[in-house]
Amino acid sequence: MRPSTRKSPSVPAGPPANNSALRRTLYAGIAGLSLAGTVAGCAPSAADAPPAGNGAAGRTSAAPSGGSTALAGSGGSYKDGTYSADGNYVSPNGTETVGVQLTLAAGRVTDVQITQHPSNPNTRKFQGEFAGGIAAHVVGRNLDELNVSKVAGSSLTSGGFNQAVGKIKSEAQ
Amino acid sequence: MSVTDWEGFPFQGIGTDWEISTPLLLTAPLRARLLDRVERFDAAWSRFRADSLIAGMARKPGRYRFPDEAAALGRLYSTLYGLTGGAMTPLIGGSLEQLGYGPGYALQPAGPPLPAPAWESVLSWSGADVAAREPVVLDIGAAGKGLLVDLLAAELEAAGAGSFIIDASGDLLAHGPEPISVALEHPYNPEQAIGVVELAGRALCASAANRRSWGDGLHHVLDGTTGWPVRTAVATWAVADTAMLADTLATALFFVPGTALQEEFDFSWLTVFSDGSAAYSAAFEGTLFS
Repeated sequence: MRPSTRKSPSVPAGPPANNSALRRTLYAGIAGLSLAGTVAGCAPSAADAPPAGNGAAGRTSAAPSGGSTALAGSGGSYKDGTYSADGNYVSPNGTETVGVQLTLAAGRVTDVQITQHPSNPNTRKFQGEFAGGIAAHVVGRNLDELNVSKVAGSSLTSGGFNQAVGKIKSEAQ
Repeated sequence: MSVTDWEGFPFQGIGTDWEISTPLLLTAPLRARLLDRVERFDAAWSRFRADSLIAGMARKPGRYRFPDEAAALGRLYSTLYGLTGGAMTPLIGGSLEQLGYGPGYALQPAGPPLPAPAWESVLSWSGADVAAREPVVLDIGAAGKGLLVDLLAAELEAAGAGSFIIDASGDLLAHGPEPISVALEHPYNPEQAIGVVELAGRALCASAANRRSWGDGLHHVLDGTTGWPVRTAVATWAVADTAMLADTLATALFFVPGTALQEEFDFSWLTVFSDGSAAYSAAFEGTLFS
């Protein structure tokens, strides 16, 4: 199961703290991704566009803003479809490539995919850490749909939650 | 044998329900050792019993020798105190009591929010030695349950248990190769979950602001610089190698974005915000329902 919501490039998890040079180049390399929010923002149906990019930027304070401005200034409309592009950045391991796929529908960005194809195992690890994301809305699913052993939640209720799970399971047998 | 068929050993400890699950029944002596560990922990760290070390320190300043686990606990709190600019502090006990979350559970504010005292001006924490220059109410709530999970795990390992699950009412440690499926409790509806994760060989801890709330925006996660409850994040989850780290970072996610914490700690995280949106690190990719 995958969240249907947007993945945001603006929540880079970050390599170890002593590697700020790498982190900066990665921001630059994926700066184009922040256009996700901007495209939605300047499209005609902006009002219904989920605030994917902007919401993430507000929270993480790590989002580059320069790329967004450039795109907004380019004006024009966008045809529906799925667009892919590769971007390069220079890491201590050499030049690496990250792929970006945007899906546009009715002038809105409906999906963003980050394709990782690093050539170096260390970069693969770092890029893996970058591929977190955001969900516009969490979706609840009832207990009886789930097949789980445990529940992780807040302490005062989860005992009752677990009992409910057990009860449902025993009644379902 | 699947983990759902493991034997359960349920008990009460530090104010909540626990269950240890193992493929083989735990022996009576081992159960006794585990319960003794819980009692010793409570006797040192409980803010809710008059005979604890913590309670003594609240009455009378001075140097107190805490159990060995205090050393790692102090280091972790010190790191997070720095990362959060003092917002996350073990000196928050007085602020919690001021808002009504203290012994007796008044759950009525005794006055306006009270900022925690500055660590460097009242507290010296060196290894297991903790010295207070004035009466202070220590509260290790952000780390305590996870820390006790780790201590019980050490007892089980010492007894030769290879695989086990420790469930401290939703804070979990899965030890051994068998992965377990864990539902992530919906922050606003305990009959639902917002996702499922597979956990093996690590700890998964959760923190939520909307539980243990007692009305009018007051809940137990307070900003030490203001004494006010923290807003925006409503529920967090953290996965780490130890339950102490996972537990503490789940709370830290209320103060610091996961992306920033990830530069300091090796862990995975998920934060759900009060507007229903969520942010997460790579390991939570694909775990949320859609």
